[in-house]
Amino acid sequence: MEHKIVDHLFRHHYGKMVAILTRFFGLSHIETIEDAVQDTFVKATLKWRKQLPDNPEAWLTKVAKNRTIDLLRSIKAEKQRVDKIANGASAIQLNELFLEHEIEDSQLRMIFVACHPSLKPKEQIAFALKTISGFSTKEIAAALLTKEDTITKRLNRAKKAIVKNNIQFDFPSPNEVQDRLARVMEVVYLTFNEGFHSTNKENLIREDLCGEAIRLCKLLLKKEKFRSGSLYALFALQCFHASRLESKTNDANEIVDIREQDRKKWFFPLIQMGNSAMNKAMDYEDVSIYHYEAAIAAEHIKAKTFVETNWEKILKWYTELQKLQPSTFNLLNMAIVNLQLSNFEVVKDILETLPIEDLEQRAYLFYGCYAEYYAKRGDFVLAISYLETAISKTSNRLEISYLIKKKLQLELQASK
Amino acid sequence: MKDFMMIFIGADYQQLGLSPDELQGRMGKWFAWGQKMEAQGILKGGEALVPTIKRVIGKDRTVSDGPFADIKEIVGGYYIVSAESAEAVVEIAQDYPDWDLDGTVEIREIMVFDQ
Repeated sequence: MEHKIVDHLFRHHYGKMVAILTRFFGLSHIETIEDAVQDTFVKATLKWRKQLPDNPEAWLTKVAKNRTIDLLRSIKAEKQRVDKIANGASAIQLNELFLEHEIEDSQLRMIFVACHPSLKPKEQIAFALKTISGFSTKEIAAALLTKEDTITKRLNRAKKAIVKNNIQFDFPSPNEVQDRLARVMEVVYLTFNEGFHSTNKENLIREDLCGEAIRLCKLLLKKEKFRSGSLYALFALQCFHASRLESKTNDANEIVDIREQDRKKWFFPLIQMGNSAMNKAMDYEDVSIYHYEAAIAAEHIKAKTFVETNWEKILKWYTELQKLQPSTFNLLNMAIVNLQLSNFEVVKDILETLPIEDLEQRAYLFYGCYAEYYAKRGDFVLAISYLETAISKTSNRLEISYLIKKKLQLELQASK
Repeated sequence: MKDFMMIFIGADYQQLGLSPDELQGRMGKWFAWGQKMEAQGILKGGEALVPTIKRVIGKDRTVSDGPFADIKEIVGGYYIVSAESAEAVVEIAQDYPDWDLDGTVEIREIMVFDQ
């Protein structure tokens, strides 16, 4: 008999169970809850070796309910509640928590906890990936290109902050919602970017991060009170980017830049979803960086070939973006777009005044841009020397081999 | 044909703190292995064991609870299979899913007594 368990069922169910149990017991018990849920999966793994249940999800849910009762027994202060659970109001309360919309509600509460302002941004992402998305410390470390130790520390600090600030497992009050939601979107956006821009193809952890960000966005969109133009635009942006995810690397696991990507491979259903989300975003009055970034991504997708890209329009969106939220990365992108438009003077002006230190570990992009500038102007010696600097500034294996390939092409052109 | 016990030692999932996704992946492999042995008609039984250990030891029948040794030595479960020889069971054990977690498979022939 052919049995197939949905991909990531355990991972997603982990997040659901932790959220439900936390809603029932409170955030102060989160560590006990996480251990108990983890234990459930170990048991399921051993049990299902021999025989898969007909409905794995229902089985897991049933076990989660039993776990709740077990936990009630083990958490001493809750002892009186055990009797009430068996018969009475709490029994109804517990069963209701396992209804689909209540599970979503619990997970949304967890998102707001994760993005609470008393947690630092990096702690927020780690905590969200652990408790909502069911990543292990090791997986988070791999996804964020960080040491496991560092992630453990971030998670501990996040948990301490939650206890210290007595954060409740609840939605923010109406007057706080917009600010808190802005932070939630930022965390979702950063999570997606970590996945999209990282070239860590091992373990497919890159796609997983993007997938999680999209899932969280969808979850937020389900609630009318959280919907906004920004949230729809963020969703659209993620859909547009995600549609290109497969074509960003080839079978040999080499980086393929947008110029070379096989546009037929871009995943159309995601593009459609992005388009319809973008239309919905227009029904709202708010404008955000997500709107402009989605518009830029859409321009790239609209172009049938690289040469048909509407660079003027892209430059216009970047200019708007820069007005709304100035950043060094934007400026660098504007230099790259101007390079495509052969506005060489503008490119040079931007590059000469760019604060490189802001780019941190992505400084190699700056040197790469300079290399392309000189290559376009026909100065191959300088172009090659800038590429060499770029290579020395990156530590990622895939990026290094991509840059070396570019350098070889330039050397070939130079020798002609 | 003789009966053999494959004893799985080490690679305790709880202790190793595997993620839900990893657990699901490993479960799939165990399930596939079990299915394969069943299709070949060689799998006769087996169980997984809870990792908590209680021992009664020696003349005084001292009862003690673990931990006794490091997790690498804890028996996690067993299968009973029928095969021509221990070498044939070594072949069967190639599909054991936890080699990469430093797991061990001990193969023991089950003793048969004359009637």
